[in-house]
Parts: sequence; C-alpha cells; structure tokens
Amino acid sequence: MAGNFWQSSHHQQWLLDKQDLIRERKHDLSILSEEEYQKIFIFFSSVIQTLGEQLKLRQQVIATATVYFKRFYARNSLKCIDPLLLAPTCIFLASKVEEFGVISNSRLISTCQTVIKNKFNYAYLQEFPYRTNHILECEFYLLENLDCCLIVYQPYRPLLQLVQDIGHEEQLLTLAWRVVNDSLRTDVSLLYPPYQIAIGCLQIACVILQKDQKAWFAELNVDIEKIQEIARYIINLFELWKTYDEKKEIQGLLSKMPKPKPAQQR
Amino acid sequence: MTAFMMDYEFKLKTQNERVKVEDLFNYEGCKVGRGTYGHVYKGRRKDSSDNRDYALKQIEGTGLSMSACREIALLRELKHSNVINLIRVFLSHNDRKVWLLFDFAEHDLWHIIKFHRAAKANKKPVMVPKGMVKSLLYQILDGIHYLHSNWVLHRDLKPANILVMGEGSERGRVKIADMGFARLFNAPLKPLADLDPVVVTFWYRAPELLLGARHYTKAIDIWAIGCIFAELLTSEPIFHCRQEDIKTSNPYHHDQLDRIFNVMGFPHEKDWEDIKKMPEHPTLLKDFKKSNYVNCSLIKYMDRHKIKPDSKAFHLLQKLLLMDPNKRITSEQAMQDGYFSEEPLPTQDVFAGCPIPYPKREFLTDDDQEEKSEKRQTQQQQQQQTQLPSQQQSQSQQLQSASNNDNHNNPAKRVRLSGQQLPGQVNSQNMPISQQTDFHQQHVMYNNTQQHNFSQRF
Ligand SMILES: Nc1ncnc2c1ncn2[C@@H]1O[C@H](COP(=O)(O)OP(=O)(O)O)[C@@H](O)[C@H]1O
Ligand SMILES: [Mg+2]
Repeated sequence: MAGNFWQSSHHQQWLLDKQDLIRERKHDLSILSEEEYQKIFIFFSSVIQTLGEQLKLRQQVIATATVYFKRFYARNSLKCIDPLLLAPTCIFLASKVEEFGVISNSRLISTCQTVIKNKFNYAYLQEFPYRTNHILECEFYLLENLDCCLIVYQPYRPLLQLVQDIGHEEQLLTLAWRVVNDSLRTDVSLLYPPYQIAIGCLQIACVILQKDQKAWFAELNVDIEKIQEIARYIINLFELWKTYDEKKEIQGLLSKMPKPKPAQQR
Repeated sequence: MTAFMMDYEFKLKTQNERVKVEDLFNYEGCKVGRGTYGHVYKGRRKDSSDNRDYALKQIEGTGLSMSACREIALLRELKHSNVINLIRVFLSHNDRKVWLLFDFAEHDLWHIIKFHRAAKANKKPVMVPKGMVKSLLYQILDGIHYLHSNWVLHRDLKPANILVMGEGSERGRVKIADMGFARLFNAPLKPLADLDPVVVTFWYRAPELLLGARHYTKAIDIWAIGCIFAELLTSEPIFHCRQEDIKTSNPYHHDQLDRIFNVMGFPHEKDWEDIKKMPEHPTLLKDFKKSNYVNCSLIKYMDRHKIKPDSKAFHLLQKLLLMDPNKRITSEQAMQDGYFSEEPLPTQDVFAGCPIPYPKREFLTDDDQEEKSEKRQTQQQQQQQTQLPSQQQSQSQQLQSASNNDNHNNPAKRVRLSGQQLPGQVNSQNMPISQQTDFHQQHVMYNNTQQHNFSQRF
C-alpha cells in the first residue's frame, strides 16, 4: 500500500487533531498530569521496543505496534485495558500484519516474562501476569478499536528517500533513523503524516550534526510550520529526558495510573 | 493474580455497542462457498432496510489467523471497481469467529467455466456475447493493475477467486476476491517463500515458482492471468495436471513442469537467460529431456483449440505466458494491447446487456460441503477434464485432442451437473457441430446473430 497514503485509512481516519487528543484524554488527565501521562507512554513504548527486539522483529513492525498502542489509548482511557497486556497484544497483531509471520503464543508469553523480569524489574515486582488467552481476547478489542485499520505508514521509507536525495550520508541516516524511533515516544504519529515526521526528524539530525541543509530544506515543498511543530515535540522529549529518571519514578506513576476495575460488588 | 486485564464497565459498554452478525443478517442454511480459508454464506439484512444480497465469509478456524489479518488489512485500504469491496468486519467474541461482509457476487469464473465445459460435453452451446472473454480479461487486468500499483500482490489468482456480479447495479462486473494470500511486496520483511509453504494452486503457478523462486513478483500474478485467459478461451485449464496433494513444502513439482513444457515447449536458454539461476535448475536438467518437447508449442496447443495463431487474442496470450518472468508483459502494457481496441470492445457489463446464461449459486447442504470444498474443486476439475470428454469418445476430433493430454487419469466417479437442463442453456440441435464444441466459437456464433447487443462500452 506504499503508493497510496492519501487514500489510506491512516490518512483518512487516523490523523487526529490536537483538540481531539485533549478531549479524549480528559479522564486520564484528571488523575495524571500531562507530563506523567507522557512518561507512562514513554515507558510502554520502551516495553514494546524491547519486546520487539527480543523477538527479533524489524523496526517497522515495532513502530506499527507502537502506533496501534497509541491509537487505542487515543480513543480510550488507560483504565480500559491494562497497558501491560495491550503492549504485547500490539506486537502480536503487528507482526501478523507486517508479514513477519505469526509469533507463537508460548514464545510471546515467555518473552514477556523474561523481558519484564530482566529489563523492567524496576517497574514490576511481580512476574508478567497474562497468558495466551488474555492476549487473544485483548486482540479482538484492539482490532475493534482500531476500526480494522491495520496498515500504518511509517516515516522510515520517506526518510530513506530524503537522505538519499541529500546525498548518501551514513551518519546522517543513522542519527535521523534514531530520532524517528524516539519520535514514537511522542504524539507525532497520531497527528502528522509520516513524510512530515521524516522531514522533522531529519532536520533535528542535521542540527545535531551541525550540517547546514537550510537551502535543501527550503526547496522541499512542505508546510514548514508543521515541520517545526514536529521538531518541537521531539525536542520537548529530549528536554524531558534530561531530568527524568524512569527507574526512580515509574513505580509511582504506574500505581497512580487509572486501572481496570472489576464488576461492582453487589 | 491481582491485575485486572480489562475494565468491567468498558467491557460492558463495548459489548452493548457491538453489533452481532446474526442480529443483522439472515444467512442460516445459505452457504454458497467453501474455500480453503472460509465458508461463504449468502445473506440478507434482517431489518430489510435493503433487500440486496450480501456475502458473509466466516473465516476458517478461530481467532485472527495471519491470512484473515492480511485480508482485513488490505481490503480495508483497497478501493477499486474490480476488487471485491469489504463492507465491514464482525468479530464474534463468544465463539471467536471472524466474519467479513462483502457485496454478493452471483458468479465466478470457476462456475462459469465449469458450465461451459459441461455444455460443451453435452453439445449444447451457451449464448454469450462475443466480447465476454475480452471484457473479463480486461477487468481482471484492471483490478490487478490497481493492486500492483499499490504494491499488493494477489498470489492466488485462479478462476474460483475471480467473481462476477449478477443482476443489479454492477451487473457483469469482475471482482477480484480472496485476498487471504495477498501481501504487500515492497521491502518484504522475510523471504516470502518462508511464510506459506504453498501459495498458488499448481495449475496457475508460474514456472519460476515451480523452479524455486524465493520471491513473489507481479509477473507471477500475470502468469496466472494468462492461464485464466487461456482457460476462458478453451474451457480447459491450460496447464491441467494431476495433483495428489496441494499442500507441500517443496515448490518443485515435476508433473506440473512437464505439463507446462508439453504445452509451451521446453524453454530455450536464449528465451530465459536467468533460468540457470533458479534454485531448482539442476533438478530440472536432471529430470527433463529437451528432446521430449520439440514438437510442443503454445501456437499448436491453442490452434488445436481453434484459437488462430494470428489472432490478437493469441498474441496477447503469448505475452502473458512468457516463461521468462522478466519478459512477461505487465498489467498496464496488457491493457494497452491491440486486442482491446479491436471490435468487439470490452464492456463494463461482461454480459453486455444480454441474458446471463449461468445458474445462480446453489446453497450447499451439509453433505455437499465437503464435496465442494476447494480441495475437492480441483479434483472435480480434473475429473471433468478427463471424464466429460472421454465419455463422449469419438464424437469430436477437437475434444479428443483436448483430452489426449490428460487421459492418464484414473477413471474416477463422474461429478454432478450431468444431464439436468440448466437455465440459459439453449437447445442446439440445428446448429453446426463445429460451432458448438468450443467456448470461443460460441461467442462468434452468438455474435453473428445478436450483433446489435454490443453497444455498452468502456
Ligand atoms: N462476495 C462473494 N459473493 C459470492 N460468493 C462468494 C463471494 N466471495 C466468495 N464467494 C464464494 O466462496 C468461495 C470461497 O471464497 P474465498 O474468498 O475464495 O475464500 P477462500 O479463501 O476460502 O478460498 C469462492 O470461490 C466463491 O465461490
Ligand atoms: Mg478462494
């Protein structure tokens, strides 16, 4: 579907606007501050990234899983489904869509167990509590909430083209690619089309490497304001990271996070 | 365990909002299709807000299989008049079934060709517009061109997956269906051959796949379209071959290659330079003798089926069925071919406003189900292929020559569709035999008598 972003469900249904996000998050933001909310999403993006790497998935699959995750909570409160369950479910679904093949259920669960135990024990003291049947049930809810829109366009492909156009620069590509990965920890994938995100990330990479590509950027026929907005989201993330110690704070944040409730006792 | 995975209120709310397929549609007892990946029912809305027919495909098995996932993911994005339209998806949480709702297509090429073959065997011609095959091919190419330009490969093109709309606003429109195998093909994340052991029914499978090609290409779909085109022209699967078991993890298939060479001749190295690079090339050299095929050519094969080597149809067929995938024509080029600018021009309604001679889909009873499953379909096709002609031995030279190639088959039981008078069939007693025996000939005949019918054009 690479030829057809403009007709895609991604373009037509899943480029949200800022006001939408604020409205949908009202409930969660009555409990968490905006920064706390973002920190929780940074954490689960890392969980998805780590799971994906452990499962040897390509970055494209990991990115798609992350976007599914963000899309679900763009429409639902964090309390609706435990994000610790939704994260591996997104991986499971994305790997099927992105042609990786079906990850075996037992491998997925055991990977979750080891990853939580070895890499995220600073956040979770207990072991990973879910089993295959939970993932499968959750998958139906996820698919429903995504409105069956499963093909997600990512900035990686346009980024490759842009860097090629600048003139093959390994260092620039590597850095810009990492900035795109970082951008998954922000809301940009919900708000902007992937080629704009690619340009925004490339611009940041150029600034970091102190490459003056102003003339080249000026020639791109894009909405510069949008690119600046994207860059701002990412720079804000970098700012936040400077002072944020996830290992110290995350347990507190997770316990403060709104959680699923069982049926009311009668 | 302490964590609650899902909020009760959320669960309740979504449960209440969720529409169930059985609340919206009547479809019980209305099964019309059974493929490898699903059961297809003909349904009507219960609230009679419209009285159109719908097709409801219940995906085989439970949960979201990879092929269900691919079909949903792709169909959700695709929109083209020659690609089946996915209206919505139902997820049935209780039994974990996935349902896909489509527009109902009354016909498909498998049934259409089967009907022609039966009619041919019974010497009863079918009245179809002269340009029907051309219109079918044009629309198949149009749909595939759309898929290919969106970086989607179909990979399972065969007559059963090419639907044709019946009476209604889209009368006679081709709909490419069954995207379960389809996949995006830019930047495959894994060599595609690793994913499904076997992809295309052997008869429609391109030679490079049979020789172990690791990656699927547009050219593979084009080959299958060439096979379908030939089958439309002759009513015989051009590369018909006995096959015991469809599922095998080995792409190399000796009998199928043998059949292709028997029709096409053995590929010369100058015609297909890269054949040397095929993984199974050594096996090919070991198993096959060029000299066995010196008298075979597509020209001769089609000529036996009354398709003239100098016709535009033949020329296009030859370009679709080039052995070298790199030389095979693209869908875009094919649509520009002179065949389509020659009278009769292709029409949007492949039936060109004429009565549709084919029976409507029948409901399958539970006993039928197994028999009509797609696995069996291929067996049936084989049986018909050999049985129908051979039961009428000596009636026609042409039929004999067609069946000669496959008469090594076991004399299996004859399959249904014998005898009974089918709707649309015309009594043909006073028509010359030479014009009754062949699908293609029948168009010509029909055209002679009903020329004024062909006005609606692209
Ligand atoms: N939209 C439809 N309308 C009418 N019949 C259909 C429709 N889709 C499929 N069928 C019938 O059901 C059969 C199986 O459907 P298909 O989508 O090919 O599933 P499978 O993946 O199991 O092969 C088809 O060959 C056709 O006869
Ligand atoms: Mg099918």
